[in-house]
Formats: sequence, structure tokens, C-alpha cells
Amino acid sequence: MTAKNDFRYIGQPLPRREDRRFLIGKGRYLDDIAMPGALHACFVRSPHGHARILSVDCAAARAMPGVAGVFVGEDLACWTTSLRLAPPIEGLHPVEMTTLPIDKVRFHGDPVAVVLAEDRYVAEDAAERVEVEYEPIDSVVDTDSALRPDAPKVDEALSGNLVSHQFFSAGDIAARSAEAERIVEARFDLHRHTHSPMETRGCLADWDAGREHLTMHIGTQAPHPLRGQLAGRLRMRETQVTVISPDIGGAFGQKIALYREELAVAALSRHLARPVRWREDRMENLTSASHARETHCVTRASVRADGRILGLELELTEDFGAYCFYPANYMARVIAMILTGPYRINDYAFDVKVVLTNKCGNGPMRAPMAITSWVMDGTIDAVASDLGLEPLEVRRVNALRAEDLPFAMPTGEVLEDVTPLETLEAAAAAIDVPAFRQRQEEARQAGRLLGLGFCTVIESTTYGSQFYKAAGIPGSGHEAAWVRIEPSGVVNASVGLMGSGQGYETPLAQAVAEGLGVPTESVIVHMGHTDIAPYGMGSRGGRGATAGGGTLYLCAQKARDKALAIAAGMLNVNDAQGLRIHDGRIEQYLDAEWQHSGLTLSDVARRAYLDPTALPEGITPGLDVSLTYDPPPMTYSNATHACEVEIDPATGRLSIARYIVAEDCGTVLNPVVVKGQQQGAVAMGLSGALMEEVVYDSAGQNISATFADYLIASACEVPQIEILPMHTPNRRTPVGIKGMAEGGIMGSIGVIANAVNDALIPIGVRVEQLPLTPQRIRALLRAAECTDFRRTISETRMKTHDG
Amino acid sequence: MTAPVEISLVVNGETREIRVPPRKLLSDVLREDLHLTGTHVGCEHGICGACTVLIDGEPARSCLTFAVQMEGHEVTTIESVATGDAFGPLQQALHEEHGLQCGFCTAGIVMTFEAYLRENPDPDEAEVREVLSGNICRCTGYQSIVAAILKAARVIREGPSA
Ligand code: FES
Ligand code: FES
Repeated sequence: MTAKNDFRYIGQPLPRREDRRFLIGKGRYLDDIAMPGALHACFVRSPHGHARILSVDCAAARAMPGVAGVFVGEDLACWTTSLRLAPPIEGLHPVEMTTLPIDKVRFHGDPVAVVLAEDRYVAEDAAERVEVEYEPIDSVVDTDSALRPDAPKVDEALSGNLVSHQFFSAGDIAARSAEAERIVEARFDLHRHTHSPMETRGCLADWDAGREHLTMHIGTQAPHPLRGQLAGRLRMRETQVTVISPDIGGAFGQKIALYREELAVAALSRHLARPVRWREDRMENLTSASHARETHCVTRASVRADGRILGLELELTEDFGAYCFYPANYMARVIAMILTGPYRINDYAFDVKVVLTNKCGNGPMRAPMAITSWVMDGTIDAVASDLGLEPLEVRRVNALRAEDLPFAMPTGEVLEDVTPLETLEAAAAAIDVPAFRQRQEEARQAGRLLGLGFCTVIESTTYGSQFYKAAGIPGSGHEAAWVRIEPSGVVNASVGLMGSGQGYETPLAQAVAEGLGVPTESVIVHMGHTDIAPYGMGSRGGRGATAGGGTLYLCAQKARDKALAIAAGMLNVNDAQGLRIHDGRIEQYLDAEWQHSGLTLSDVARRAYLDPTALPEGITPGLDVSLTYDPPPMTYSNATHACEVEIDPATGRLSIARYIVAEDCGTVLNPVVVKGQQQGAVAMGLSGALMEEVVYDSAGQNISATFADYLIASACEVPQIEILPMHTPNRRTPVGIKGMAEGGIMGSIGVIANAVNDALIPIGVRVEQLPLTPQRIRALLRAAECTDFRRTISETRMKTHDG
Repeated sequence: MTAPVEISLVVNGETREIRVPPRKLLSDVLREDLHLTGTHVGCEHGICGACTVLIDGEPARSCLTFAVQMEGHEVTTIESVATGDAFGPLQQALHEEHGLQCGFCTAGIVMTFEAYLRENPDPDEAEVREVLSGNICRCTGYQSIVAAILKAARVIREGPSA
């Protein structure tokens, strides 16, 4: 299905380079770095959801043997600046936070003090001896109560808890609803998640008092932006900070921001002129690192009798938690911007509210816009169910077709080179929908609940600078790379990304190999060190391939052009027309075929570095080039997920009989890595949709603070995932890359909810809230007045047994 | 706090005499005192399986074990699985089937199945998934790990050409 291409190195299913060191136990993660003499930090955290800090008594802790110091918010405020977020976005209130809280704590787990000691055991003991006197305040733990006029304020500098509010309208919603056969309302409630990378957060700060230089070892997705944050908040120059990211044991969006703990550790290393290290434990990671989602959506679709959506309204409320490490509208906005995605909808309005509560602050988690496809495709299913239509038909009636492209979404986002109807049809054909409907009907007769769901995803993967500009968010979407062909002909390259387990090293080397014309084995791509890599925007969203791979490819081409200009001189030809580099050899187009010229890239490199006077006129010595590239405002990939489920009416247990993903993510650098990302994303999405849930009680206590409470899917819950690759290139990006890795989350959340709702149609109930635990499904079944259905079931069972 | 005690244990075939505080976890002693950082710590409460090592040949959570309990016992870690430059069959299959991404869970999975496949050379997929359910992997979705384990079992049973 996938379009053929002419690439030599791109697209090869090469195994990953990282594997060897990980498989033999020689990966180097943060906590594996030995640093003699380092102090260990342990944070004292609030046991309350919301409380004033009356006093902190550190005397007992300081007196313990092995303790080097105990520090509180006021101390840190002397050595660091606060974080102020005030992008000029209408409806977004500016916010500011100190490095550690000084007057009050805002959530269960908020850090109040930090202990430094000679080992982690002693630091933990001492943290328990720090006496904090609190005066508890009522906690706000849901958005409804947070928005009441008399609600306690989470951030006392604001006039209320509504930290961001935006609305938008295109077309004429009122006119569309007047024309409509019916208005279908649907609700979607996606609960609170947390990223839970297997490696928790941590850092090792090493202040060199002689050079006045900070080296920060930290697993980070975005080394350069982090360096800028660190330098700024420590009142230092960017030349005084080096950020080095070791191997990262997963991040999923949790390792982008500069967190308060990390800044405190860096400040204390400088203050004491000693290395300081910190690794949070799992409870801290689950309660205090970063949370995500908890988004409530309501849609109202004005529809014709055939299911065509004439107009669509969205109301979205996000529970953002207590602190803003990102502009509060950062995630919600994208959901609202791209909601209509694969469908031909022109009349659209949204109202988006982001609310502060006494919970851990939200951040982007793999697919910040995770709920989007569930909301859109769930709305389609609600329409189908209200009108008694086949959901697949309602999708077809509304789908964007090839001839509609390029299509400007009502928000102005332009879709082109996407194939959502094609992936839908492929997934539908793989399922064989008529045959399934027949099976489903027979099963229903036998008292069994089978369901089929579809969910089509338009994934915004790569944000160009123009997108940031239009959104009013400071920042850029460009990326930077350098490529050096060394005198021996081997190739060092670098880019401003940092992988956290995806396996960048091989596919990015393939991009360089393709641009240059050398075997992939001769290329090494260096990442994660701010003194080595060029200033780039790091890894976030699905930008790795398009921004990272694309920039490296273009940079490698630039290096190739220079190498060929030198080769032309060596071969005594006028210019590089008719020359190419192929597997590291210089070839000439002679007699209608490519022939080896006798030169290799290493011959050219030796000339460039060691014999520069022999270079052609105007060619500078060396083979060292750099380049920046700014991708289009937005690059999209697309996919359709299809899933068959069965629900046990007696227990509410859900089983997945079949799971298919038809995906178009453009030119693929390395199919091994892409498949891993597809499977991993679906698994993470399903785990979230079925099991994971961050739970706060009414007093603001986080009661999901261990892996026994915050449940992550194991090998027994994740199904086999069938993948149908349907890749078509993007015409605007280098080599046609589209990017991917988050859409699997969007699709899996939507498809599982849609499949469950399809199964529940005979019961007359609809799931509006995740996770789909057996308890929740069972409660729905119980609540429904389904005595008739149960009677049918038991009668059928009896009949089956009798027969 | 009680004073450190001397213990003697065998780690990856070598006898080691060390002084450790009685409350120090085996995972921390392996990583900090013996510099065997291939064993990872993902939760320190016995759920994730990242810290799995073999104690006298049986898989165990090193985060739930005090190092002092190891007096006279034999501990095997990920660092001993490959022979020189050559992967063991499980490592090889995980590489070929792309059974790892960030690699943080990998050592625990390898150690779990090094022991399991020795006693259960011909498991089916459901059995592999059941045993694997003691190890959380946040990256892969397990499918490729399961494929790798089944492949390794085949290779161990029938030789590399299988
Ligand atoms: S670290 Fe031991 S089970 Fe998680
Ligand atoms: S590979 Fe990352 S947790 Fe398993």
C-alpha cells in the first residue's frame, strides 16, 4: 500500500543502535552517573491539598549527622528568580511562581523545603525531621466548585480560578442549527493521567566554582530551552551553563519544563560549591511531577437526517491543577483548533476554559491533544446512534475526500496531503463491517455484548514557527543541525533533539546517510549536550522525524554539495553536475550510467582538511556545515483505528478481540522504530483509557500514589495490534516526512470508547467518562433499566443449556 | 540506625565481601557499592519489576530485599548475561524483534525470562504474557517483547537456525 520511493538509506528496517548498551546493562541513565562527593537532595512535601505555611523548623534536621543543609522557599528566592508566564494571549491571565512556595502550598506533594545530605537514606530521614506548621485551607478539587464565586483561590494573585478563557466562532452556528433535523449533544470526560516514565525525574548539578560554570546532568527532551531557563532563573549567562542529557528511561512530555526541584538543586550546587544530585521516588513522581488531561468536553452537532454535520459547537473545560509550567491554554487550545480534523465541517464554535485546582500542575503528556479524536468521532457515533444510522456511513457522509484538499478547517488550520478517508476505508475493509454486524446481531440474540468502534485521527505532529507566532506563544518550531565529514571520511552530525527511548540514533543517521550518500554505519548523530549540539527546540510532539530528520537531511545535502564541488576540482571537471556520492564513493555520470570515479569521500575529506591550497577557487577548507530549517506551520499525519470488543454483562469486564491501525505518516525513516512507536502509543492510550487514573479525594489528598493504585496496563491487558501502513509523502517537508508517535494515543482512547458504546446500544446507555474500568461499565449496566435485557440473557442462557 | 555489617555474597560468579548498613536495599548496594548499574529501580515498592535480579537462580525484586539478607547467597544481574561480545539468545531476540525502547525495564525482563525459559522451554503466548505481567514497560506495548521471548525460547530449544 505504501508508495514506493527511491531512497537508498531512508526506509531501511535497520535495528537500533541503542539496543546493545541497554541489553547488556551498560546504558547510562542519570542515576548511573557516579559523582564522588555529591550531596543528595530530598524534598519535604506538603501533606495538605491547600494550606498556609506558618513556620518551618529545620533545626532538628540540620543537627543530624550527615546533613549538609536544609533550605526553604525564602532561601531559594535569594538565589533564583520566579517563573513568570505572561504571553500576550487574550483571555490568559499572567501567573508567577517562586522556586519553592513561601506562603502557602497548593497541592498534596508541593515541595516546601529541601534537605541535602551525604546519602539518600540520611536525606530522607532528615526530611522527616523538618517540622512545618500549616494552617489548612479548603481545597478545590474539581472545576465546577473551583468556578464558584466563593471558591478558595488557588493562586491568590488572580481574581479567580479561571486562568484562561477563549472562544471562537466561524460560519453561522445559529443558522445551521435552525436548518438542522436535530441537535445531538454528547459529553466526554477524560480523567487525570500522569506520564509515569519508568525512570523518574532526577538531576545532578555540578557547579565549577573556579570557572563559574554549571554542568547540569538531566534527562531532558529539550536541552537548549532548558539551559536558557536555568541560566535565566539563576541570573547567569547561557555561556555559564551546560546541559547534558544522559540516556533517558522514558519521558512522554514529562521531561521538558524546568521543574522547581531541578532549579533548587542547581541553585544549591552553586551556593555550596558542591555537586548535588536528586532522584525522585515513585510516589513523588506520581503525585508531584506533572499531571495531564482531565478535560471535560461537550459537543452540540446540528445534523441532517442523513447524519451530515452542518454545524458543531465545543465547550471544553480543563482542570489544570495548581501551577502553570506552561501557558494554561497550551494543550486545550490545540484540541479546539484541530477538533473537526478529518471531517468537512465549516461552521464551528468553541468555548475553552482552563481552571486552577489544588492538584499537581498539568503539562503536555504524549498527545497533549489526546481527547480530540474521541470527542470528534464520539460525536459522530452519538449522531449515528440518535438517528439510527450505521456509524461508518455517518463518517463517510462527513469525511474529507481527496478532492476537498487542501482544506482549511474553520479555525484556519490547513490540511493537505492527508488521507483520512483512505485509512478509514482500509480499516473498515480489514474488519469487514457487514460480517461483523451480523456476528454482533447473533451474539446479541445469545445475550452477548459485542461492539465495533472506529476512530480517525488527524495528528498535528510538527509545529513550525508560524504556528507559534499565530498562537501568540513565544518560541519557535525551527530546528538546527550540523554535519561534519571528518578527515577520515566518517561523519559526525548533531541536531537539537533529545530522544527519551524512541530510538533516534539509527533513523536520524539514515537521514544523514541519505542526504550525503554514505552508508548509515559511517554516521553518528550526537544529541543531548548543549555545548555539542546546535541550539534546537528539542523533542516534543511528533517533530522528531520532520524537524530533526528533515533538518539533518538538508544539512547533509549541503555537506554533499561542498564535497562534490571539491571532487569536481580533483576530477578536473567544471562543476559538480554529473557527480554524486554513492555509498561513500564519488561517481560520475558517463555514457548514460553512473560510474565510480576512483575517488572516495575520504579522499575528498583529506583534501578539504589537509591540502586546502589545492581546493577550487572560492571553496573554504574543511567539511563542516550547519543549517537551520523551519518546517511548515503545521504538518499532519493521519490514521484510523478500528477495534472489536466484548463486554461481559455480568462483571463489566471488557475484552479486546481485534485492534487495527491504518496509518499514513508520510515517508518513514525507519519502519522498525515507527512500528514500535505505533504499538507503544496504542498501548499507552489503552492503558489510560482502561486503567490509569489519578484520584484526589474531596480534601485534596492524592490517593493514587503508588503503582498499586495508579494502574498501568501489563502484557495481559494490551492486545495484539495489527498495523496497515498506508504512507504517502508530504510534498512540503524534506523527503516527504510527516511525523508520528502521538496519534496512537488519540486513536486508541477514541476507538475503545466508541467500541464500548456500540456494544452498549441495546442497553440504552452511553459511556461518557473514562477510564472504562469493569466497575464503571458494570455501574452503567446496573443503572440502566435493563431488566428486560437481563431477562433476555437469562432466558437465552437457559435455552442454550436446555438445548 | 545500626552500624554497617560485613557480608559475603557471590555476585555474577564472584565472591564479594562488603560492608553495608542493614537497611540498605540490595538494589542500592548493587548499583552504588558494586557499580552494577544495569539493574534499575522504577518504583521501589515491588510493582514494576525493573529491579529484578536472580537470587540463587530465582527471580527476585532487589528493591524489596535488604543486601544483608544476601549473606551466603548468589546474585545474578544483567551484566552477566552476555558472554563477552555475544548476546545471549534472549538479548539477541529482543534486539531483532525491537523488544525495547528506552531500555529502562529491559534488564528486569531479561532476568525474569532467563530463569523462566530455563524451566519452561516451550511456553505459549498466553503463558509468556502472564509471566511478563510482573514487569511494567511504558514504551513498547509488550507485543514485540512477547514476540522476542517466544523467538528466544525457540532458539534455545532448537538452535539459532530455527
Ligand atoms: S523497583 Fe523493584 S519492583 Fe519496581
Ligand atoms: S522500554 Fe521503556 S519501559 Fe520498557
